[in-house]
Amino acid sequence: MLISLNWLREYVDLPETVEELCERLTLLGLEIEKITRPGEGIDKVIIGQVLSVEPHPNADKLSVCRTDVGAGEPLQIVCGATNMKPGDKVPTALVGATLPGGFEIGRRKMRGVESAGMMCSARELGLGEDHMGLLILPEDAPIGQDIRTYLGLDDTILEIEVTPNRGDWASMIGVARELAAWFGREFRVPRAVPGEGSQPVQALTSVTIEDPEGCPRYIARVIEGVKVGPSPDWMARRLTAAGMRPINNVVDVTNYVLMETGHPLHAFDYDRLAENRIVVRRARSGEQITTLDGERRNLTPDMLVIADARCPQAVAGIMGGADSEVTENSTRILLESAVFQPSLIRRTAKNLGLVTEAAQHFQQGADWNMAEYAINRAADLILQLAGGTLAAGLWDAAPNPPAPVSVRLRHDRVASFLGVEMPVDAQRKTLELLGFTPEAQDDCSTTFRVPSWRVHDVSMETDLLEELARFYGYDRLPETLPPVRANAMVFAPYDEPQEKVRRFLADRGLTEVFNWTFSSPALVERAGLPESFAQLVRLSNPLTENHVGMRTSLIPGLLSVAERNARRGAPGLAVFELGPVFHLPAGGEVTPDTLPDEPPALAVLLGGSTPQHWNIPARNYDLYDLKGIVESLAAWLRVDLRFRPVENPWPLFVPGQAAELLLRDQVVGRAGQVSGRVIRAFDLPFDCCVAELDLRAIFDVPSDLPQFQELPAFPPSTRDLAVLVDRSLPAGDLLEAVREKGGAILRDAKIFDVYTGKQVAPDRKSVAISLVFQSPERTLTDADTQQAFDRIVKHLERKFQATLR
Amino acid sequence: MTTEITGKLNELERRGLEAVAACDDPRQLESLRVSLLGRKGELTEILRGLASLSPEERPEVGKIANRVKEALTSAIDRRKAELAELEEVRRAQQTFFDWTLPGRSLPPGRTHLIARTAREVVDVFRAMGFKVAWGPDVETEYYNFDALNTPSDHPARDSHDTFYVRPGVVLRTQTSPVQIRVMERTQPPVAIVAPGRVYRVDWDATHSPMFFQIEGLLVDRDVTFADLKGTLTHFVREYFGPKTQVRFRPHFFPFTEPSAEMDILWTAPDREGGGMKTRWLEMLGCGMVHPKVFEAVGYDYQKYSGFAFGMGVDRIAMVRHGINAIAHLYENDLRFLEQF
Repeated sequence: MLISLNWLREYVDLPETVEELCERLTLLGLEIEKITRPGEGIDKVIIGQVLSVEPHPNADKLSVCRTDVGAGEPLQIVCGATNMKPGDKVPTALVGATLPGGFEIGRRKMRGVESAGMMCSARELGLGEDHMGLLILPEDAPIGQDIRTYLGLDDTILEIEVTPNRGDWASMIGVARELAAWFGREFRVPRAVPGEGSQPVQALTSVTIEDPEGCPRYIARVIEGVKVGPSPDWMARRLTAAGMRPINNVVDVTNYVLMETGHPLHAFDYDRLAENRIVVRRARSGEQITTLDGERRNLTPDMLVIADARCPQAVAGIMGGADSEVTENSTRILLESAVFQPSLIRRTAKNLGLVTEAAQHFQQGADWNMAEYAINRAADLILQLAGGTLAAGLWDAAPNPPAPVSVRLRHDRVASFLGVEMPVDAQRKTLELLGFTPEAQDDCSTTFRVPSWRVHDVSMETDLLEELARFYGYDRLPETLPPVRANAMVFAPYDEPQEKVRRFLADRGLTEVFNWTFSSPALVERAGLPESFAQLVRLSNPLTENHVGMRTSLIPGLLSVAERNARRGAPGLAVFELGPVFHLPAGGEVTPDTLPDEPPALAVLLGGSTPQHWNIPARNYDLYDLKGIVESLAAWLRVDLRFRPVENPWPLFVPGQAAELLLRDQVVGRAGQVSGRVIRAFDLPFDCCVAELDLRAIFDVPSDLPQFQELPAFPPSTRDLAVLVDRSLPAGDLLEAVREKGGAILRDAKIFDVYTGKQVAPDRKSVAISLVFQSPERTLTDADTQQAFDRIVKHLERKFQATLR
Repeated sequence: MTTEITGKLNELERRGLEAVAACDDPRQLESLRVSLLGRKGELTEILRGLASLSPEERPEVGKIANRVKEALTSAIDRRKAELAELEEVRRAQQTFFDWTLPGRSLPPGRTHLIARTAREVVDVFRAMGFKVAWGPDVETEYYNFDALNTPSDHPARDSHDTFYVRPGVVLRTQTSPVQIRVMERTQPPVAIVAPGRVYRVDWDATHSPMFFQIEGLLVDRDVTFADLKGTLTHFVREYFGPKTQVRFRPHFFPFTEPSAEMDILWTAPDREGGGMKTRWLEMLGCGMVHPKVFEAVGYDYQKYSGFAFGMGVDRIAMVRHGINAIAHLYENDLRFLEQF
């Protein structure tokens, strides 16, 4: 909402500076979005009258004017515009004047003719885009007056944001009332006692409310003999400042009063209403209305309309109908001031896609009493601006006057809830200032009647406490640190372990990414995941077709990250993501009782080249890098994670280079080399490998508390063993066989080299194993180790046709 | 006889010391040692002559021989150490260590800015005694709205604002439902912070449909608005610096009463105007837990009171690091991620 300070001053005296005002409004809870000063930059521009217009002797497109500025000799001004004639009043910038944008006016010669100033277009004054000619002012504009004063440009406009609980603030009177209370200044409400004619309103119209719940109050007044025409400048200016377009004096008055009081009004052309009467009812199926914006709209029975004897003439509380619009030809008008049910207005506005100023006000709840003031104020203004005779009395159909709202305040709650001592007197006084009336009191409490403009917001003791806090000043309330007593329950068992994993992986040189958690079946398919992963928790209102549901795996997101970074020139990447994946509940249907399963997951992607270094040759990441990361993570988490190769993996993986990750025989993840199909689908210029782990499954396995093992007291003895074996023999099998025959004294066996190449037959490989023998009881002799060594070699020869190198 | 051998010994000492001093190669020094003191060396040769001496003369000559041997041995050792040192210096002069070249290490990895910021914030509250709580991203309308005193026709529930899985099930629009889940499971005192992803149907230069919030809740006997102010001011001073100025403004949220927004006075480079600019920046929303919320979870409003707050982690990260577009946070461009 836009608040003109010039207008606001009519109701309350404002503080000296705009800054002080804005700070106070902010601290009272009214957010200032923007401050504009329309006249900013304009100086020494006054109203002049063109006396003569002569052609310029040396230029076809210029003329030489003499302009009276009210003081001294008329000025000679060279002008490029053509729309002025002698007698016109125009804004005239004197020598030394400035215009918006810092433009300064000097005395100068234009094509040999002296020019002592400039006559201005609307655009030159910063008043819009019109620069086709000079801004011609009305005939009665006073010569010599500062244009800022005349056009109301000496104003400051605040754009304020009203929170939904304070609909009463969306008006001049609402803001002024609050300021008057805070500053202890007089609150000036314009008198609204219009002079009435002799004919009673009951003789001219009637109001029937068929839906008293949707419309608890409807007031009508009728004015006869009005002369519809343009509004006077002061009103047009104020409406413009408030962001509204002036239309005609009657419509403008309703808008003016809306801005002033926050209560929406409507004016009907009385003579266009069938039987000149009003019926407030639900729309009938199939009924239509053409609203003021020219749109033909279909109405439904859940919408409230203002009808005449035959058909709807307005969508209640939202917009009037074109049929009964007040026009230049209207002479009799019916004014409406009503109270509508906020939820009904909200629903209808939403269904019609028609969120008008009026609808917004009604949605926040109308002020029952203001309805009457507003219609009287409007009637008074119309009589002043458009003349006519006001029928005597109101037609006030108020079948449901609301029960008054009273709230009890226990005075000790201020200290125990707000944390500040506030004398009882001060509490009462503050609330009274804000319009709350004490109704009853005892030793420890006072019961207050809530003012009509606050009944939508204040209904409980805490609401009163909020008022006291607000008016005491949030900034003045003390600051204390409470004892923080948490109970022993655990609400996020995976939080700390997940955080450890995050730090571990970052410390290993990986970069964490954070993707949106949306996905789509197409993306799942593109990433080569099996069909079951396309069973998404679906959204009914997704943003785009790429975001139709929730992700079931982190892998597609990581592939997309690789894609994006490769496209931007990254030669390689090592990334991971932590976060939930979403699985449909058993039965497949998400309901409030069966929400999706959201286990925390981890995925790692390595792709392209390792970082460049002057001394470490760059190479491509491969599956051993990935396996190493997963292994070291498992070791660090102290879980026994195993890799089981998968013969026919998902399309995501290269066959033979994919494995399931097993923890206690349960599959808790997968790892592998990304297949060419998926590499191409993501347009990747390099190979990648990925792994994904179900962190919940891993965290849920209790890790054993390590138990101390006595340190060996006797020295170890080391032997190296190199054997030639079949090329496809897994090294792990070899190691297992070594351990099997090594006996009690074999403490460790590690592969330290695997060789294939020239010195080895093409179907063979050389595997070198370092053996560590040690006994807890004695120093081993050469004979001991040799015996074990021979036993191992013999076993390998027999089992794998190995030959010692 | 004695004088002859003594003379030879003295002569050997003189020559030997000279030769040692002149030697500048460790290997030559070693052969010198052999030729002077070795089993077949000159000293041994001279000492053969002892046999011809009388038993009275021998000890005297033996003493001299020992002195010569010690003198030569220690001279050789000294020279050896000298040469080793010289060699070290020479080698060092030949090698050039370049301090400007990067050392060998793992590539620098990092946690994501959102995760890190969230953790830092959570850790400030954990240090005060708050516990971490999680709740689901796919949430019921009851937890996300109803229990938080949000009327059924509230505009925030509109499908223009909230993602729906089906009627009654939404992507949570705030981390506040975690408050309800926690209070349903336990009795006061409660002190939790709940970090998590939240979702709103909004995607433009300043909005991301998914973003990250942290919720906080403290419920106990006699918790006051002053406690709320104190706790959050403490957080700001811990996280943004001990001198950071804080401002509380009245605001409105359905689930707190009184409600407030907290601003901090923040100085940052002014991208448009140049120089530094100081202004109030909205940091979080907070308030005293609304009695209707307590009612929803079955807490006795007369017995307990509490406060709640919620802040956007994205916003905090953006403010602290001068990030101008929220999109950067979720695009995962390594050139962005590696800056933090």
